[in-house]
Amino acid sequence: MPTPVTAARQCLTEESARALDEAVAVARRRSHAQTTSLHAVSALLSIPSSTLRDACARARSIAYPSRLQFRALELSVGVSLDRLPSSKTVEDPPISNSLMAAIKRSQANQRRHPESYHLQQLHSNNNNINNATGCSQTAALLKVELKYFILSILDDPIVSRVFGEAGFRSCDIKLALVHPPVTHVSSRFSRTRCPPIFLCNLTDSVSGQVGFNFPFSCQEDGFDENCRRIGEVMVKKSGKSPLLVGVCAMEALRGFTESLTRGKSGFLDGDLAGLIVISIEKEVNEFVTEGNEEKLGLKMKEMKGILEKCTASVGGGGGGGGVVLNFGDLKGLFLEGVLSDSVSSLVLKLTGLMEVYRRKLWLIGAVETVEIYRKFSDKFPNIEIDWDLHLLPITSSKSSFDGAHSKSSLMKSFVPFGGFFPTPSDFRSPLSGRNQSITRCNLCNEKYEQEVAAILKVGSTVSVADQHSENLPSWLRMAAVDTSKGEDVAKTKDGETMLSAKVLGLQKKWDDICQRLHHMPAIYKLNLTPAGPQVPIVGAPQFATEKKQSSSEDPSINESRFPSQSPSTQIPRTSEAENTNFQSRLLVDVSSLAQQTDKVVRGFTHQPQQNLSGRNPSLFVPPVTTDLKLGTMYASTSQESNNLKSLDHKERLQRGSISAEFDANTKNTSYQFAQSSSCSGLATGEQFDQGDYKSIRKVLDEKVGWQDEAVNSVSQAVSQLRRSYGSCRGISCKGDIWLTFLGPDRVGKRRIASALAEVLFGSQEYLISVDLSSQDKGSQSNSIFECQELNGYDVKFRGKTVSDFIAAEVRKKPHSVIFLENVDEADYYVRHSLDQAIRTGKFPDSHGREIGINNMVLITTSTITKGNTTVFFEKKPMKFYEERILGAKSWQIQIVVGSISDDVSRSNVTGTRVTKIKEASASAFVNKRKLIDTVESSELEKTDTGERVCKASRSCLDLNLPVEDTDEDLKLGESDSESLSENSEGWLEEFLSQVDKKILFKPFDFDGLANKIVKEVSSQFQRTVGSEVPLEIDQEVMVQILAAAWLSERKGAVEDWLEKVLGRSFAEAQQKYHLTSQSVVQLVACEGVVVNEQAPELTGYLLFSLPALPRFIYNLTFLELKIAFKDWKGKMLLILCKLSWCDQLMNRP
Amino acid sequence: MGNILLEALNVRVVGSAEKILVLGHGFGTDQSVWQRIVPLFTPDYRIILYDLVCAGSVNPDYFDFRRYTTLDAYVDDLLNILDALGVDLCAYVGHSVSAMIGILASIRRPELFSKLILIGASPSFLNDKDYHGGFEQGEIEKVFSAMEANYKAWVNGFAPLAVGADVPTAVREFSRTLFNMRPDISLFVSRTVFNTDLRGVLGMVRVPCCVVQTAKDVSIPASVAEYLRTHLGGRTTIEILKTEGHLPHMTAPALLAQVLRRALSHHSEF
Repeated sequence: MPTPVTAARQCLTEESARALDEAVAVARRRSHAQTTSLHAVSALLSIPSSTLRDACARARSIAYPSRLQFRALELSVGVSLDRLPSSKTVEDPPISNSLMAAIKRSQANQRRHPESYHLQQLHSNNNNINNATGCSQTAALLKVELKYFILSILDDPIVSRVFGEAGFRSCDIKLALVHPPVTHVSSRFSRTRCPPIFLCNLTDSVSGQVGFNFPFSCQEDGFDENCRRIGEVMVKKSGKSPLLVGVCAMEALRGFTESLTRGKSGFLDGDLAGLIVISIEKEVNEFVTEGNEEKLGLKMKEMKGILEKCTASVGGGGGGGGVVLNFGDLKGLFLEGVLSDSVSSLVLKLTGLMEVYRRKLWLIGAVETVEIYRKFSDKFPNIEIDWDLHLLPITSSKSSFDGAHSKSSLMKSFVPFGGFFPTPSDFRSPLSGRNQSITRCNLCNEKYEQEVAAILKVGSTVSVADQHSENLPSWLRMAAVDTSKGEDVAKTKDGETMLSAKVLGLQKKWDDICQRLHHMPAIYKLNLTPAGPQVPIVGAPQFATEKKQSSSEDPSINESRFPSQSPSTQIPRTSEAENTNFQSRLLVDVSSLAQQTDKVVRGFTHQPQQNLSGRNPSLFVPPVTTDLKLGTMYASTSQESNNLKSLDHKERLQRGSISAEFDANTKNTSYQFAQSSSCSGLATGEQFDQGDYKSIRKVLDEKVGWQDEAVNSVSQAVSQLRRSYGSCRGISCKGDIWLTFLGPDRVGKRRIASALAEVLFGSQEYLISVDLSSQDKGSQSNSIFECQELNGYDVKFRGKTVSDFIAAEVRKKPHSVIFLENVDEADYYVRHSLDQAIRTGKFPDSHGREIGINNMVLITTSTITKGNTTVFFEKKPMKFYEERILGAKSWQIQIVVGSISDDVSRSNVTGTRVTKIKEASASAFVNKRKLIDTVESSELEKTDTGERVCKASRSCLDLNLPVEDTDEDLKLGESDSESLSENSEGWLEEFLSQVDKKILFKPFDFDGLANKIVKEVSSQFQRTVGSEVPLEIDQEVMVQILAAAWLSERKGAVEDWLEKVLGRSFAEAQQKYHLTSQSVVQLVACEGVVVNEQAPELTGYLLFSLPALPRFIYNLTFLELKIAFKDWKGKMLLILCKLSWCDQLMNRP
Repeated sequence: MGNILLEALNVRVVGSAEKILVLGHGFGTDQSVWQRIVPLFTPDYRIILYDLVCAGSVNPDYFDFRRYTTLDAYVDDLLNILDALGVDLCAYVGHSVSAMIGILASIRRPELFSKLILIGASPSFLNDKDYHGGFEQGEIEKVFSAMEANYKAWVNGFAPLAVGADVPTAVREFSRTLFNMRPDISLFVSRTVFNTDLRGVLGMVRVPCCVVQTAKDVSIPASVAEYLRTHLGGRTTIEILKTEGHLPHMTAPALLAQVLRRALSHHSEF
């Protein structure tokens, strides 16, 4: 049964009764049937100088900015009130039972604690906080004092829940109520008293420095850094006449003279006070340009007079005085860039003056660049001494700091999120990290602001925080994730609720992030400077500006923002004005807030704890991403099988006899490997001894048939070493195998390494491959080899040192083959790591962390060979040598059909030959992909094989570079390696002496292969076209084919290609253009058309030329071509056609 | 004084070799930017690392807005550090703003420096009549107002741009150090840098220099390196790194290290 208001009032003191009245008014406004504790709380919070609010301020959790928390409190109270059912308006809603019970409880309480009552009274008298509650209380003891009224209301479970939702704990508030602050200063203001440290670069009293140096206050002082420096020069004994050098020198000079004439000479030492500036710049100018000597003479005379006076006063004991003679821009002495003779007289005059009045005369001038001065001093070599000049570099002028600079906006950008973190207190011992907390906090604040702004504007759910978390250490990211979960909950709500909930969530999130950041530095600091006063920052004096600032930014929101702020404006603005704004925006929404918000609000209070407890201790773990695939850069089998896979994927439906055969082929081999690895894999390769030699040798032989000797010694070495390691199984036993491959045949070495990885560790994945020379190599773009290396470098090493990369890879794959190419070109650090690794069995990275390399096989390669072996491969003159093949480029190959009459020189030639064909020819023709017509599945298979060859060789059926370039490349490489390391040879020798086995490779027989290929091609050609038509193969094409053959894993791949692709192309050319002995067929590289790895089918481009072309163009339009290509492979192919050239052709008779 | 300075600017001396190498970091970073370079040189050099006063790792209280209006104050700091450490000859590697500082320091104390290696250096970022610095005044003002308006957004946009190369760790690292700077200081320093014009004084440098520039750098046009070469007073060489971005020491340390080594070994020939 509710109690009438009047009855309740009788139990209360005057003040409490006023609060009750307020509560009743609240209930009436909201048309509630009864006045409850919640109404009372609402009223108590809103009355001016509210005790409850004050207590809350003291009790609030330090983790949140107070404004924020009060907003949250108001919000949650408002929401709770909204939930009460409204009824028809009652004049005075009677007091609810629960509230009445609270009043009764407080009466009892008051009776029970007379002493605390007295204490309280004492305090309230002292500090005037409780607004003279005293008098009325003494009158009637039974009347409930406001404090006890509040205390018992806080006991109400509904009320404590509401407070809890806002992050307050009722018990804390109660405690704060019972123990009011003892300070005389009103506690509400004490927090804002201390200057906001983050706004200025001054320090506390300890440092003795005073002031609030606003960044741009320097203008007001009237001098800048330049003046100070000029002053410094002038104080000196010799070289005291500053000559300002620099583009801004004139401005600086002007600034200096102006401030001197204005009498501001604070930047000058005491001795120099009272200097007079005399500027003869104008006069000098007139003198130089017009020969007008009069004025100058006058000025000089005047100056002499002053100087006389000065010197006289010195005699009389006067300290100051002196003349600064400003001769202005040195350029003024030049007339059209030449120093005229009349200038010499002026210079002499000044020199004379300087001699006489050296102590009292300063010359000052400016010059734009030092070169002008040089010219001047060339003419007057002694000028520096005569004029006592000092060249002073001037790098900037202060003027640019003037003007358009809004202070408030700058302020805004670094207003920290809240005043809850301790400020740096000890200036003398700066702690690294402490300051981070401040900036980070700004940062968080800004992030938060930005997110909220984004949400408010667009209502989009994209969270900047997620992006931002990229930049944060991983343990911070946790928080972001946590809160975004909370956001998700919020997202399910609708409309404004969702909006405000989100804002709250965001606040919380950034609070969290911020708090985490502060935790560490704060603790750190406590440990180190326990005595340092920790003054929490709360306020900044610039609120007004900030508010304006933000309001001008967003006027539409502003309108709704301010009214709702009004109840709390008496409370000084805390620094997070932005938050306030957002909060108050929330308040606008309050009326429509539904129950859901509660959940969010609760989350707001609870989640921080969760997050804190779930804090991930692993700090700063940068994610490392490496492309493992790059371990096998060339056409190793893994690559091939990868390619196969992708091909299979593409051609799912086109599996024909050839591809099947091919698959079977690789399956066989991989089956073998699987077998061998199955026994080794489990036991980490340790048991692999019997039959080792044979099985290794067999696999290696298959891969690199041409290096039989090397294969033999590698297999021997590996099997022997493993056996010996296997027999001693002690812990200290060395298990790493060091091999060195010397000599040429890069591909062979690499292939052996990858085969070893496969044999020993089960897969080519276990090959860690690094080319130590690739980092600094000038590379030709598009070359088959180089471009891979370049990519490899980019992806692998960016941001890492080589040794770090290796160490990281080893960590990932503790059982693997490390393949280091060109070890002679290793940089210092890698060498160091290798040295240590070979001695200790542990590979150190650049941070000194070591990783064991037991069970690893380390292969280093070098093209450098010792002694006579070098001669061995140089003595044979070769047409195709390794370096040239390595320069092969991935260009397309074209067949060009020409007429013999075009080129007389060719007329007698029949048969096939390899020549150098001008590259220019290539671009002049229309390209046509062959096989465009009659696409049958069987043919497709064949084409695929061709592709496969290309694939296997990593898109290598393409072109190379001109021979000259190759040579250059070679030279470049040589000079590079020369400059790289002077002492590399010595080191290499030492290093090589420690490896377990050196294996010498012999050069790949490119010439032999070339002959074979030429034979093959010509037989193909003769078969399809006929022997009377001459065929010319460009050298570059040859190089490319050789490269492909070298790289391709499968035997016969090139032969296949020749037969299936080239042969067919010839046939088609023949069929279409009826080649006769008058024609010349050329196989050329299509320069610049790079074979795309994704579209290797481009390699078969055909180029038809001359008489055939018009017909060709008529027959097939572009569109048809495109369609044909599309059909063929689902790929749009690039068609090169020079239309202008076509026109030319068509006009031909 | 010396000690306070050394402490305030987090001066570190790494390595014990005889030759001294000073590494100066650029705008928006701190000495940690050299972490991938330092280990490569510790065996041969004693490396002096320090933070510019504007770096995020330095107590912002030390940043005196009146003092650091020009680079000369930074030069003072550098020279004071070297004096406090008793350095009488060193090779100096400076990146970006530190390159400018190195130039000025070598003008003031030429005997102190055996070699300057200037990474991503520019005498002036502003375009002029016959000089292409890469920025127009108007553009810069826009940048400044962007920084003012929303520092965070600016950093997020600027960091990947400056790093250039696609190295997420470097972008992250650079953003971190950039964020560490107090926005007002950051803005102030960038104003200072953009107001700086060293063109007139380059001729006063007498120390041999090596200008290191990446093939593509958003803030430095390629012509600037050539300008530096022709105008620097000392014997000057150019090294173009085959990588991208303004921060090769973060994105391609191995590449840069080799160039540095080459440049440093050259100076001993003179």
